[in-house]
Amino acid sequence: MTHSIFKSIKLINPATNFNQKVNVVIQNETIISISKDLNLEKFNRDDQTIIYDCEGLTMSPGIFDMRVNIGKTENLKFTQITAAESGITSMAVLPNQTPKLNNPSIIDHIKRQSEDINLPKVMVYGAATKDLNGLEMSEIGLMSEMGAIGFTNGNKSIKNSLVMRRLMSYATMINRPIIQHAEDEDLSGVNQASTTSIRGEMNEGEISTRLGLIGIPACAEVIMIERDIRLAKLTGAHYHVAHVSTRDAVNVIREAKKSGIKITCDTAPPYFSLNESKLLTYNTAFKLSPPLRSEDDRLAIIEGIQDGTIDAIASDHRARSKDTKAQPFSAASVGASGIETLFSITLDLVHKKIIDINKVISLLTINPSKILGIDSPSLEEEKVADFVVFDENEPHTIKQENLKTSPTPFDGEKIHGKILATYINGQVAFMNKILKNKIIK
Amino acid sequence: MNKLFKNNSEFNKSSPVKLSSHHLLAIEGMQKTEIKKLLDRADYFANLDKHADTKYLSRYVVLNVFFENSTRTRVSFELAARRLGAEVINISLINSSIKKGESLLDTASTLNAMKPDLLIVRHPHSGAPLLFAEYLSCSIINAGDGRHEHPTQALLDALTIKRRIGYLEGLKISICGDISNSRVARSNIHLLTTMGAEVRCVAPSTLMPSSLEKLGVKCFNDMKEGIKDADVVMLLRLQNERMSGTENPSEREYFNFFGLDETKLSLANPNAVIMHPGPMNRGVEIASALADDANRSLIKTQVEMGVAVRMSIIEALNHSKNKT
Repeated sequence: MTHSIFKSIKLINPATNFNQKVNVVIQNETIISISKDLNLEKFNRDDQTIIYDCEGLTMSPGIFDMRVNIGKTENLKFTQITAAESGITSMAVLPNQTPKLNNPSIIDHIKRQSEDINLPKVMVYGAATKDLNGLEMSEIGLMSEMGAIGFTNGNKSIKNSLVMRRLMSYATMINRPIIQHAEDEDLSGVNQASTTSIRGEMNEGEISTRLGLIGIPACAEVIMIERDIRLAKLTGAHYHVAHVSTRDAVNVIREAKKSGIKITCDTAPPYFSLNESKLLTYNTAFKLSPPLRSEDDRLAIIEGIQDGTIDAIASDHRARSKDTKAQPFSAASVGASGIETLFSITLDLVHKKIIDINKVISLLTINPSKILGIDSPSLEEEKVADFVVFDENEPHTIKQENLKTSPTPFDGEKIHGKILATYINGQVAFMNKILKNKIIK
Repeated sequence: MNKLFKNNSEFNKSSPVKLSSHHLLAIEGMQKTEIKKLLDRADYFANLDKHADTKYLSRYVVLNVFFENSTRTRVSFELAARRLGAEVINISLINSSIKKGESLLDTASTLNAMKPDLLIVRHPHSGAPLLFAEYLSCSIINAGDGRHEHPTQALLDALTIKRRIGYLEGLKISICGDISNSRVARSNIHLLTTMGAEVRCVAPSTLMPSSLEKLGVKCFNDMKEGIKDADVVMLLRLQNERMSGTENPSEREYFNFFGLDETKLSLANPNAVIMHPGPMNRGVEIASALADDANRSLIKTQVEMGVAVRMSIIEALNHSKNKT
């Protein structure tokens, strides 16, 4: 029998509100013991028992990254491996990949393709509309039966109000959320075919004026959310807003929650840690959708995280090739990598004394599962050993050259906190040498 | 402060200017003293006979790379470089490698491999010349990038005003028209505010960019208010190619409210001069008769000053590179 023992580790388990220093024993794929006093005699040291001295380290459920784009630069397996190295044990992928995830058989295919006992679990969002065209409902019932966990048009808004109404209404029958990229695309100009006419490129304001780039007004986000809230009220659907980026959106979602609408939302690290001033050098690593907003919007996202208006934090990973980014800003591709920095940038909220560590772990683990109606991970005895081990305080600097995906908007960022190991089904999916060096012989 | 300024005004016009950079990418961020020196040197060139020997830059190779149509700017740069004795090669990339799918950086590094001394770039995308400057070893002049800047135009406009009125500081200058889509407007705003002029921007609200007042200008939607007592009225072309069709009801409505005619001009300073970076749409931005009014219109002088200003810049970039 294989035993792994994590001695004197701080265990954070949001599902049971647990945060204590304990000893955790894993046997095969199961947690068999969580205790203050560890009786090593109980375990036969002759067979494969490994003891890690985890003084100063922390264990929590693995991250559930609820928004990942699998782009042209990646394949699913590569993204899974990268995710495992980043503390992610489950991830939900968007339907806007090639081929589009818009029918039951491809949902099934992706699930089977990604089934690997030792890699992060892949969950799939189905395309809400056929071919993501925004005009006709796709087979969301059949996709749901194949395991699609929610429906969305990915990085495009579901624009047509009637289509959105029908989708929401239908989704109530299968008890799945509709996930919206909230953007009035006419207002933001992204519907325009040409790249040089009026296609929105960044947040509208003083900086877009200085740079001569086309602005996307902040209200392009809230306009869509306000409409959708009315439709959610009409239909009783669970409506989820992805990557919230503006103060107005946070305010409107806060009020809708108070009035009893079934609404949830997430944001991504760029929106609580960066603002539009990053664009002053036309650095295309910061060309995102939604665009980086004003400092006031950034502060509002933080307030939303603090007061619980924002339910979850996702990477919004959208890696791009260097070639499509080494372009004039207007011609460059939209999006940035995220899975590799999700944990550390979010943990930075603790070091900046914005929220506590328990909250960070909730935002990254059980909250996404609750939103998507999936069994919440919980680190208790007799449960599956899906977890991460990390050092909350390990200082390091994010460097593009050390990452596997690009571009990162956090190049050069000095942060604290590092993933040391990721366990999936009791197996080591990733282990850093820092932890390997802590094995007690 | 005063002493510094006095020293600058005693700058010797007969020698090349040294700048802090060997590129000219934008006016934003340029020092007042540098602008002043460039203008003084350009003034010196403007006073020379066109056949005077100014061939200081032999064996200097200039590539005039235009990703967007242009006649006046391209020719003006070419003349300026030739008068300095440089070799000039014009490259129009509107239809060639772009269509073949080559990336901008590949195009740029191909050109760079031919080891030019200077690349003059016009590009439809804001910020493109900065990308060139980041990756290439030669000097870069921004000859207009998207809606961002057109620094040489602002310098030639300033020289035109200085030669007519004598100074820039304290002048009331109204920039009128399609500010939103105009790189000329942005460069002029930065240059004229840096030099101490009072800059006003006049545009329909649909063509007034967001938070423009943060660039240190006053904004007006009423042209009559905006050009009141102005010493200079600078008009901009309506850039229909950069619009979606939702900005303006019609050209005649535009002319009614924002076209310069005798009535509106009568509100400006009686000696006010009229400028336009060209090409102009007669009867849209400006009444035809005013454009041709030799006493008030400086439009032709602007073109003339373009060559002198560009000579001063090309020479300065060469000088700044050699000496740094």
